[in-house]
Amino acid sequence: MAKRKALSRAIIATSLGLVALGLGSTASADSNPPLAALGPPPIPHDNPQTPEKIKLGKLLFFDSRIGGDASVSCADCHMPKQGWGFNDPISRGYPGVIHWRNSQTVVNAAYLGKLFWVGAAKSLENQAPGAALGAVSGNGERDMVEARLAFIPEYVKRFNQVFGDDWPKVNNVWKAMAAFERTLIHDNTPFDQYMRGDKSALSEQQVRGLALFQGKANCIECHNGPLLTDQKYYNLGVPRAEDWLESGLAQITFRYEQYAKGVTEELYRKIKDDAGLYYRTKQKSDMGKFRTAPLRYIAYTAPYMHNGSFFDFEEVVEFYNDGGGDNDFTDSTMAKTKTDLLKPLGLTDEEKEDLVAFLEALSGEEIKMPTPKLPRYAPLPAVASTN
Amino acid sequence: MTERVSTISALTIALAVAVATFVLPVSAAEFGPVEPIKVDAKKAALGKRLFFDPRLSGDAAISCSTCHIPEKGFGDGLALSKAYPGSDGFRNTPTLINTAKKAAWFHDGRIGTNLNDVTRESITETYFMNMDMRLMQERIKQDPVYVKMFKEAGYGEPSNGSVRKAIPEYLKTLTSRGAPFDTGNLSDAAERGFELFKGKAHCAECHSGSRFSDDMPHNTGVPENPDIWSNPLRHVTYVAYSMFMGIENYMNIRRDVGAHVRTHKSDGSDIGKFMTPTLRELTFTAPYMHNGTIKTLDDVVAFYNRGGGTDPNKDRRIEPLGLSKEERANLVAFLKSLSGEALTGPDHVWQEKINVNYAAIEDWLDKKN
Repeated sequence: MAKRKALSRAIIATSLGLVALGLGSTASADSNPPLAALGPPPIPHDNPQTPEKIKLGKLLFFDSRIGGDASVSCADCHMPKQGWGFNDPISRGYPGVIHWRNSQTVVNAAYLGKLFWVGAAKSLENQAPGAALGAVSGNGERDMVEARLAFIPEYVKRFNQVFGDDWPKVNNVWKAMAAFERTLIHDNTPFDQYMRGDKSALSEQQVRGLALFQGKANCIECHNGPLLTDQKYYNLGVPRAEDWLESGLAQITFRYEQYAKGVTEELYRKIKDDAGLYYRTKQKSDMGKFRTAPLRYIAYTAPYMHNGSFFDFEEVVEFYNDGGGDNDFTDSTMAKTKTDLLKPLGLTDEEKEDLVAFLEALSGEEIKMPTPKLPRYAPLPAVASTN
Repeated sequence: MTERVSTISALTIALAVAVATFVLPVSAAEFGPVEPIKVDAKKAALGKRLFFDPRLSGDAAISCSTCHIPEKGFGDGLALSKAYPGSDGFRNTPTLINTAKKAAWFHDGRIGTNLNDVTRESITETYFMNMDMRLMQERIKQDPVYVKMFKEAGYGEPSNGSVRKAIPEYLKTLTSRGAPFDTGNLSDAAERGFELFKGKAHCAECHSGSRFSDDMPHNTGVPENPDIWSNPLRHVTYVAYSMFMGIENYMNIRRDVGAHVRTHKSDGSDIGKFMTPTLRELTFTAPYMHNGTIKTLDDVVAFYNRGGGTDPNKDRRIEPLGLSKEERANLVAFLKSLSGEALTGPDHVWQEKINVNYAAIEDWLDKKN
C-alpha cells in the first residue's frame, strides 16, 4: 500500500519536474495532514468582519431582489432547512431552469480556499456574484441590483454605515454576503469535541470508524486536515446524473453549461457527463475531477457528490468499498482520469457500520435560522429640476 | 488638430440636424400606404412562433407578445409598460406595426441599426426579457417543432443568430393595411382634417412619410409621468437604464432624458427629445406619447393646440395653433382614418398552442448534442 502511494507520488512529482529540483523526496506515505478540531475561519484582510456588515449580509442573503426576477435569493438554493444546501440531487435553479450540480452547503464554506465544485471562485466574495448573476442560478444583473438597493432606504442606510457608500455598491453586496457566510461555522461536532480531548464525545463504534477512516478505508488520503478535505480534485467515477437521461430541462442546462464554459464544438457535440475541473483548465487530464468535499454538517446535506448521486452515508460507503465507480472519464470514452487512490476496500458489514457511525459524528446541532424580515422599497425623495 | 477636427464634425452634425429638422419640405412628404415587405414565409412563420413563446425570457414567464399584444396594435394599452417580472417599465410600449420601416428604434432612438439588434436588445435587456441567449439557444434546440422549423427555414440548427433573423422576418409582416386613408374612404371631416394636418396644424412637419414619422427626436414638452418617480419599481428600472446608458447624475434626475442618450449634448439641450411616433393604428394604441400621459386623441390634439407643454428646450416650431373645436374634431377624424385592419388573424398571430414543457431527448447518450 505504502509502496503504491510512494510510486504514484513519484510519478506525479516527475511529471511536475520537481524531482529535478530535489523536492520529490519530501513526499511520504504518511504526510497527510492530520485530522484535527476545527479552528476559526480565515478572515480576508480586505473584508474584515463587523457585526453591522454581518447583519447586512444576512439580509442580502435572504433577499430575492438580488435575483433577476426578484423571486430567488441565495437562500432558495442554500436553504437553512435543507442543510444550507438543496436536498435534491441537482439543485433547483432560476425559475424556468434547473441547475446541473448539487447545491453545496454554505456551512463552513468560509474555510475553503476555492468555491464551487471545481474551485471556479477564489473567495466567497467572488463566489456570490457567480451564483447571483449566472443564468441558471440567480440570473441577476449588476446595474439592476444596485438600482434596486438604492430604493430600499434601510439598505441605503446600512451600506453607508458599513461601507461608506452614498448609494449601495454591488461589489459591497458580495462582501457583506461573504461576511455573513463566515458566521455559518460548524466547529463543535462530536468529532471536534473528541479531538479537543473529550474522549466521551465519540461512541466506541465511532472510534472504530475513525480508525477505519484513517486506516483500512483510507478516507484520510483526501479527507484530511482539520477541514477533512485536501481541497484537491479527483475523478472517483461517480456515475452521471440520471436527470440528463430523463429530463428535457436538465438536458438544456447540460448543453448550456458546455456552451457557456467554452468547450470546443467537437466536445460540445459528444460530451455526455460533467467534465468538472476540465472546464477550468481545459486539460484532458482534468476531466471528471471534482474537489474533495469537506465532511462536517453532512448529516443535513444529503444527497452527496457533485451531482447528488448518493442519498445516504451507506450508499457513499458502499461506493468507496467498491473502489469507486465508472463514468465517461474512467473508461476512455472521454478520458481515463480515475484516481488510482481508489481500490476495493474489503470492508466487512460491521466495518461499514462503524464508518457510517463515524460520519454521523461529523455533524452537531443543526444551524437554524428563520428568514429575516426584509426592508421595503420606497420612492426616492423629489429633487429640484435638473434640466 | 484633434480639437479642430471635432469642432468641424460637430458643426457638420449640427448642420445635418438643422437641415433634417427645419428644411424638410412638407410638400415632398409622401403619405401613401405603407408598402408591404416581401418576406420568406418559412422564416417569418418561425419568427412568429418565437414572438409568442415565453421561453425566450429568462424565467420563461413572458414573451414578446406579453407587451406587444396584437389586439392592442402590438402595444399593450397601458400608459407605462410592464417589464420583466420584478420590474416595472418607464415608457409606453410602442406599436410594432410598420416597425421594419423605422430608421431608429425605442422612444429614445438608441438603436439605429436594424431589427436584428433590436431583437437582441429586447431579449437580453435586464428589464425586458432578461435572457442569456446561450441558454435560450439550448431551450430552442430542445423543442422538436423548432428544430424542424429552423431546418425548413434554411437556418440549419437553431441558434441565437437565427433567432435574431427570424423574429425580424416576422416583424416585416406587420404592415398596416386597409386604413380609410389608404383606401380613399375618407369622411369629409377626415379630408378637412388632412388639410389641417398638412397646413394650419403643422403636424406634417414631423409626422411625415407613409408612417407619418420623420424618424427624428423632438422635444414637444410632454409632461413627465409622475408614476415613474413615485413607483419605486419604475424608477428602479429607469436608474438601471441610466447606469447602462451613461446618463450622468442619475440618482438626482427626475425626468426621462430621452434621446439625450444618443447625442449626450453637454448643455443638455437634447434632454426631453423623443422619437416622432408613427400615427398609424392609433385607434388601437391609446394611451399616447412616450410615457402614456395623454389618454385620447382629442387630448393629444388639444395638447398641440395649446402649443405643446412647457420645456425650455421645446422645439420652437411648437406654438399655439388656434384651432376651433370643429377643426380639432376634423383633425381627430383624420387621425382615426390612419388605422386599418387589426392584425390579429393567423397571418400575424401564432395559432397553435405552444407546449412550453421540454420533452427529454430519447436515447440521449446515443445522440449528438
